[in-house]
Amino acid sequence: MSKSKFVHVTYIRTTADKLWDALTKAEFVKLYWFGMHQDSEWREGSSWAMVDSKGETWDSGKILEADRPHKLVISWHHEHHAAARAEGHSRMTYTIEKAGSVIKLTVTHESDTEDSALITAVSGGWPMVLASLKTFLETGEALPDPRAAA
Amino acid sequence: MARLTTESTIYITYIATTPEKCWEAITTAAFTKLYFFGHTVESDWKAGGDIIYRTPDGKVDVQGRILECDPPHFVRFTWRVDWIAELRHPPDSIVSYRIERAGDGVVRFTMTEEHPEPIDARLLEGGRSGWPLILSGLKSVLETGKMFKADPPSPPKAMQDYIKELQK
Repeated sequence: MSKSKFVHVTYIRTTADKLWDALTKAEFVKLYWFGMHQDSEWREGSSWAMVDSKGETWDSGKILEADRPHKLVISWHHEHHAAARAEGHSRMTYTIEKAGSVIKLTVTHESDTEDSALITAVSGGWPMVLASLKTFLETGEALPDPRAAA
Repeated sequence: MARLTTESTIYITYIATTPEKCWEAITTAAFTKLYFFGHTVESDWKAGGDIIYRTPDGKVDVQGRILECDPPHFVRFTWRVDWIAELRHPPDSIVSYRIERAGDGVVRFTMTEEHPEPIDARLLEGGRSGWPLILSGLKSVLETGKMFKADPPSPPKAMQDYIKELQK
């Protein structure tokens, strides 16, 4: 059992296939992930990286499980901040389920490190990214960056 | 074996709206009935006043008392589930909604469900399954003007088991 865990559930007016594409295709991800995108072939065993607009890699890892459009599991290693980097690999799971006319997306990000610095950091980031993803899929436009000065 | 807990549930989301519109959406019945499982909210939104969430057939679902109210940014109130007879006794939980500006034209919305007195941990599952759907609906209503049709999650099994135990 993981020692640190973050779970966030959101309901989005979309289809499972559109959500899968929005989560995986770099050209979509760039639109709502505040400039970041991810590089991967999204197959079990493929390498995976989270890259910023300058090409710098923030996180890297590999795809542990890819069951389009239902479930995706990534082994996720943060590279940027020392404390989180030292924790080694975490595990991030997208679970996509139909719930009436909408899709339920569950993000579970967990680590075997007690009081994980990475899980604390992503607990602040995921609600922002998932809010922007939902806005993007429902309105066609991403959320303005909540970290920008008003 | 029952595990007792005072753990809080926190749900954060970001909504493309103003604090005033977000406040209106959480404090007026015409809005809550769109996204809160059809429930209407009633309160004068002043500290010491009552707050009631009613089901579409008029029954009281949740009732409580306003502890703090600072429109359009913060409200905190006691929360007693009324539709389950066995849960109508203290300890009440405490729910708060916090609305903050974040960026240009965005608010950060934080729902916190606190349990000052220890409760059976299985009861937390009810809020943890319900709040994400309610608050996803709040965001959709504010950003797109319309609610989606979703299957409400059935009460989580752990919570149903707990209620059955209370009914014995």
